[in-house]
Formats: sequence, C-alpha cells, structure tokens
Amino acid sequence: MSDSYLDPRPARLSWPSRRAALRLALPALFVAILAFFALAAPGFLSLGNLSSLLLNNFVLLAMVAIGMTCAIAAGGIDLSVGTALDFSALAFVALLNAGSGLPLALGGALLAGTLVGAGNAGLIAGLRISPFLASLGSLFIGTSAQQLLSDGGQPNYLAPEARPDLAGARFFGVPLPLLAVAALAAVYGLALARGRFGRQVLALGNQPLVARYSGLAERRIAAWVFVAGAFACALAGILLAATVNAYVPMSGNAFLMNAIGAVFIGATLNRHGRANIPGTLLGVLFLNVTANGLLLIGWSFYWQQVATGALILLVLVFSFVGRRPGD
Amino acid sequence: MSAAETPPQAVVLELRGIVKRFGATRALDGASLRVRRGSVHGLVGENGAGKSTLIKVLAGIHRPDAGSLLVDGRAHAHFDPRQVERLGIRFIHQERLLPAGFTVDEALFFGQERRLGPWLDRRAQRREAERLLEHWFGLRLPAGALVGELSSAEQQVLQIVRALIVKPRVLVFDEPSVALVRSEVERLLCIVRRLRDEGLAIVYISHYLQEIEALCDRVTVLRNGRDVAEVDPRATSPERIARLMVNREVGELYPKSAPAPGAPLLEVRGLGRGRAYRDIDLRVRRGEVVGLTGLVGSGAKELLKSLFGLAPPDTGEVRLDGRPLALRTPRQAVAEGIALLPEERRRQGVALDLSVQENVTLAALPRFSRFGLLSRRAERRETLGLIERLRIKSAGPQATVRQLSGGNQQKVALAKWFARRSSLYLLDEPSVGIDIGAKAEIYRLIGELAREGAGVLILSSDLPELLGLCERIHVMHRGRIAARFEAGEADSDKLLAVATGAVAQQETSVHESIPG
Ligand SMILES: Nc1ncnc2c1ncn2[C@@H]1O[C@H](COP(=O)(O)OP(=O)(O)OP(=O)(O)O)[C@@H](O)[C@H]1O
Ligand SMILES: [Mg+2]
Repeated sequence: MSDSYLDPRPARLSWPSRRAALRLALPALFVAILAFFALAAPGFLSLGNLSSLLLNNFVLLAMVAIGMTCAIAAGGIDLSVGTALDFSALAFVALLNAGSGLPLALGGALLAGTLVGAGNAGLIAGLRISPFLASLGSLFIGTSAQQLLSDGGQPNYLAPEARPDLAGARFFGVPLPLLAVAALAAVYGLALARGRFGRQVLALGNQPLVARYSGLAERRIAAWVFVAGAFACALAGILLAATVNAYVPMSGNAFLMNAIGAVFIGATLNRHGRANIPGTLLGVLFLNVTANGLLLIGWSFYWQQVATGALILLVLVFSFVGRRPGD
Repeated sequence: MSAAETPPQAVVLELRGIVKRFGATRALDGASLRVRRGSVHGLVGENGAGKSTLIKVLAGIHRPDAGSLLVDGRAHAHFDPRQVERLGIRFIHQERLLPAGFTVDEALFFGQERRLGPWLDRRAQRREAERLLEHWFGLRLPAGALVGELSSAEQQVLQIVRALIVKPRVLVFDEPSVALVRSEVERLLCIVRRLRDEGLAIVYISHYLQEIEALCDRVTVLRNGRDVAEVDPRATSPERIARLMVNREVGELYPKSAPAPGAPLLEVRGLGRGRAYRDIDLRVRRGEVVGLTGLVGSGAKELLKSLFGLAPPDTGEVRLDGRPLALRTPRQAVAEGIALLPEERRRQGVALDLSVQENVTLAALPRFSRFGLLSRRAERRETLGLIERLRIKSAGPQATVRQLSGGNQQKVALAKWFARRSSLYLLDEPSVGIDIGAKAEIYRLIGELAREGAGVLILSSDLPELLGLCERIHVMHRGRIAARFEAGEADSDKLLAVATGAVAQQETSVHESIPG
C-alpha cells in the first residue's frame, strides 16, 4: 500500500474486473488439479485416500493455518506457530507419561502452547517489537530449548497404557479431529469476519495509525491475536502427539511455510485480498491435495516440496497481477 | 489584466468528451477542457465531480473509455506517463505521493537525477535541492531529511518544486493549497502568476472560490463528470459558480444558531509542553463552538494533539466536566468522549482499504455490536444516514475508501466521529478540500452537535470559517495564546495581525470577560 509515483503503470483492465477474473482463475486451477489427479493418480479418489488426506494432513495444517490467519490479518506474521505446536505436544506427552489424567494433560498442553503466544504478545505489545522479529526470536529460543530438552532431538514416546485414542475417536460418526477443526474454524471465522474483535484486527492490520487515532487498544488487540493464534497451534500439537503417540521435537516447523502459503492463497480468493478463515481452509486443501496427488503418482517428498513452492509462487504471481495498478 | 483584453492565445491542451468508468461508477461522462497558453484555467466542481479523474486521464494514470486528448492540436487516444512528461506536462496531484523513505533531494530529483557521466551527482543534487526550495518558497530544509518526517505543507512544497525542476509547458495543480498555510498560499499564487506570464498553460483545481477568482482567467465547472459551463471568474459571482457546481442554491454557508452555552466542558489552565506551547488557558462549554488559529509553529496543532492524548503536556491542568484529566493515549481520550479529526486524513483519519461502513463505525464499534458480534444492519443504517447527510459520493457503504474522491475521503473521516457521538470534538481544519455545498452541511452538523450539548474546538486557518462558526476565537502565536476575540469583535484582518505577530501580545480585556 505505497502511495508512490514510482510505478505509474498505465491502467489496462480496470482492477476490480481483474481481481474478479483472478478469483475465478484459482478455483479453476484447483478443479483442474483435482481432475488431473483423479485421472493420473491411481487410488486418488478412493475413500481410504480421501479420508486419510482429510484426517492426517488437512486437520493439522488447518489448525496451524487458522492460527497464522489471525497474525496475518492483524498485519503481522507468526513464525513461531511450530514452536507453539511443539510445546503443546511436549507438555501433552510428558503429562500423560507422568500419569496425569487426560483432562490435565489437555489443559497443560493448551497452556504450554498458548504461553508461546503470550511471550510473543509480551514482546510485541509490551516492548513494541515487530511481530516478525518477536516470533523469530520465539522460534529460535523454542528450537534450542527443544534440542536441549530432548538430547538433540530424540522423540519422547507415549507409554502404551497412557495413549488416549483422540485421533480415532468419533462423535456421532464424525471423527473427533474433524470436529475440533470445524469448531475452531467456526469460532475464529466468526470472530474475524463478524466479530467486533475481527473488525479491530482488520483496522490494525490495514492502517495501525487509524486504529490508534480511532481509540482502539492496538496493543491489546495485537497481544490477543498472538495468544489466539498460539491456542490454535496448541490444539494441533495435541492432535499430532495423539496421532503419532509421541512428541517428536521440532516437528512443528514443518507446518510453517505451508501455513503461510495457505493463508496467502486464501487472501487471494477474498474480494478485498484480506486474510480469512474460509479462504485459508481452501488454501490448506489446495496444498494437501497437490502433495497427496504427487505422492500417489510417485514423486518424492522433495519434489513435492518443490511443487508446493511453485504452486504458492504461482498464486502470489496471480495476486500480484490482480493488484490495482498504482497500488 | 482580464481575459477580455488579452488576445486569444493558442490552445495548448484540449480534452474532448472524455469518458471514464470505474465498474458501475461513471467518473467522467463526456468531460471537455480547453486550456490556452499563458493562462490559468480553473477547474471546479463538487467532491466526486471527476476533477482528479480528468487530470489523471491526462497524466496517463487512467485510460479513458472514450474521448480524445489533444496537445498542440495533435490527437491522442490515451497517454502513458512517460509520454506526458516528454510533452512537458507536469502534475501536482491531490494525494501527496512522495515515498516516505526518500530524502528531500531524492524525492525532488527522482526520474530527473543530476548526473556526472554515468554516476549520480549526489552532491550537486543536494545543493540544488536546497537552493530550489529556498528559491521558490523560501523554505530551508536539509536535503538529507526524510520525506516521511516532513510536515504535510513541506511535502506539498516539495511536490510543487519537483514539477518545476524541468520547466514544463503545461502545469496541473490538483488542490495545491489544501496542505499549505496562508503565507505559502500567497507565495504559490505569485509563482503561478509568474509562470503564466512566462507563457505556461496552467490548470488549477480548488474548492476555494476566492483563489479561483484571484488567479484564473477562465474556469470550467464540472458536474457529475461533465463540463457544464466555462465562465470568466472575474465576471461571475462566486455564488453563481457555486450554483453551477452543485446545481441548487447553496444558501447560507454558516448556520444561524442561537448559542445556549451550558456547563463548562473543557477547561485548560496553564498548559505547556516543551517549546511547542505554554501558558495555555482555554475553556469550551457545552453547546459552544470555539475557534483556534495560528500559523505554522504557533503550537496550535500540538495543543490539539495533546488534548487527544497524543503528545502529553508537561505542565498545567486539563479538566473535562470538572474532573482532572491526564490523557496519555488516544484510547483514553476516546473513552472520555473526545474526538479528534486529525490533520493527515489519509494516514490517520481513514483506513483506505476498508469500506466506508467499516470506517464510519470504527470508533463506535460497541454501539453496533452485541455479545461481541457486529450487527451489519445497524452499521449499514448508520452509514447510509451519514452518507446522505454529508453527501458522501460513493458506490455505497461497501465501497472501499481508497476509491472515493479526496473530498469524500475527508467526509468519511468526519462521519466516523459523528457516528461516535462524542462530547468534545477537536476538529483540525474540518472543511479542507470539501466542496461548498458539503461545507454548508458540515457547518450545520457542527452547529447541531453544539445544540445537542457537545463542545467543539475548531482549529482552522480558514478565517471566514472561524468567524462564521465560533463564539470565541483564540489566536496563537509562538506557543502562546496571543489574543481572544468574542464573536462579532473580530475580523480577518485583526486575527491575521495577531497570528503573524504584527500586533504584539494582546491579552485584551476580553480575557476577563469570558463568562462561566
Ligand atoms: N480508482 C477508482 N475506483 C473506483 N471509483 C473511483 C476511482 N477513482 C475515482 N473514482 C470515483 O470517481 C468519481 C470522481 O472522483 P474524482 O476523484 O475525480 O473527484 P474530484 O472531482 O477530484 O473530487 P474531490 O473534490 O473530492 O477531490 C468519484 O465518485 C469516485 O468515487
Ligand atoms: Mg480530487
């Protein structure tokens, strides 16, 4: 949003119509990718594959990406989503292994993960450090702390008798993880899109000075954004630990890039280019489907990563082209 | 020298039947404009009439949907920015577009750098920058200062000087005087006249009809994207021009309100802050509209900020409704029912990428929410009401503020505080950039706020505005209140004499006679 004459490109297609074209282009691309894998990848459409896609890949990334959506909507970024996830997983496994009951383990895990966000909040709101730097600091400290605690990255397994069956549990036939994501998305989505809080976040993310001059509690809002984001990641941490029955140090960092990518894909789908929860969920699905399809047609993990990167780049190029000239 | 005496000169620039649509909005609907060499051509019209869009079409920023552009008789369907520059047409746009991170010399010489062989001659550029600013505006600025740190007036001067570095043939000003203070405006008018006499063709957009009358040889009136008249401003009364603009009688600009001042609302005693201002005594009662004026550096802007919790004072006392106040943040101020219409509307007043509705309700969110959820219906109702009352021209409550014309953005900044229903309104230049019809409406709203029991403190350099609205006017000079005038005692000359320091500290007997 630089008001600058540095880029006086003449207008061609007027920008609203360009953005509209773009908003159609992305879903079209998604459908094309789906169709391609349906034809090219054996077993892609099988129930087993689709449900594992949803339960294993979608759920975890979706939770982290929901947390990331908050930070990006507020005009920042949260590089420590993985740290929050890891701390939560660590606390969960440690508490269960120590013989605490499930409720205590859940509460402790949520608290541990959310504390990472609270740390960020303190740095950002208290010391006025930029979200990028604050969460980068948390990422570094979190990573080192985990290495120290785990002898350089040794997993901590759940004792067989302490394993809660969270990942496989169902309520009225619906898997618990899916319910958790749905609830999280509903609450966060409602708060961001319809809530007073979401409006304040929006103002803060777009023009912090205006938020300030309108009497909004900018720092308190920023603080809550990071706490709420970390809470979502903590939930993901619990789920991850319950799925693999272990705490694997630093496994949260694997979600960082994909989460950022998903949020930006989602923002591109929005009419105003705003980060939003439904868009983020679509972005997550987009990335999951691509990775899964590539896996099925035999691409290695590394090539999947390359393809994911290319996909995100493509979307960003789209959103750049969709920008209004002179923006 | 009136236009009638001078022989008609060659038409340098002609815009013919320009049409420009933005989605469903027809910003221009067949607008034409003819500008002659050695003349100043005024362009007036309501907020959103299409003035800025027309010159942006000329500048190659927008591509017209129909119409043609003629320069020296040669027709073009559209321009691109480089081409326009080569043709010697330069612009001072309404939005201040200089990058905040540039230094003064970089901003002035961007795209027209001083070179030494293949290298940038930074030294020459800096020297030249300082010389040019001094030469044109008598402004002393270090060339290394960052644009973002300059006042809006200084940034505006920079934009003007930038356009004069390579002598243009056609110069287009879009509301250049808005960000300037009086002395600089005088200077600007002199510069424009001088350039005209040197044979430039000048297009001058302004909402100040006095400026138009003093400066222009011809004036084109734009209404709803179409040119509806071209007249000689010296032979046409401002009332008639205003009527052509808004297509109805504007009526009385200032409301005839019988003031019924109530209890003291704001009491300021012995307030001081560093070298910005000191010994400030000031009182605003409920139901009162009080004026404040002063030149740049008088401390009036700082004072207003302090009253809103920005830049806290270090001595003295502020009371609101009799209670002592020590504001440290705008948030506290807003919670106390204080509203500030800030100077830099596009940076501080409106969120450009939010919709009109989101901006209007931003300071009053609790009013529109229940259990933390916003009622869009209630928001929409309030916004529609304010759009109507302030005549905000937009595609509707959902339109993005960035797409609004400059004056309509100003109105949104004001509407935000009307939606908030505060008890003390601090208004920094409330009518700047606003067309005459909407001005009358805003003045009426200010009068209404006062009648409903609010207090209003207006900081303005538009002296007729202060004289027309205020029951009492404080004039600041070098950080002090140099004089106070009751309504009816003052006139523009007296105010100006005190503000410029021509009349020394004039703590008149009026001081003691302030009631309450
Ligand atoms: N980029 C844009 N997208 C959509 N609508 C636009 C855009 N730019 C201008 N408009 C619309 O075109 C109309 C004319 O705007 P313009 O800025 O030319 O008005 P103006 O005469 O300069 O007004 P003002 O006196 O307030 O500066 C307005 O209704 C505005 O909302
Ligand atoms: Mg304009």
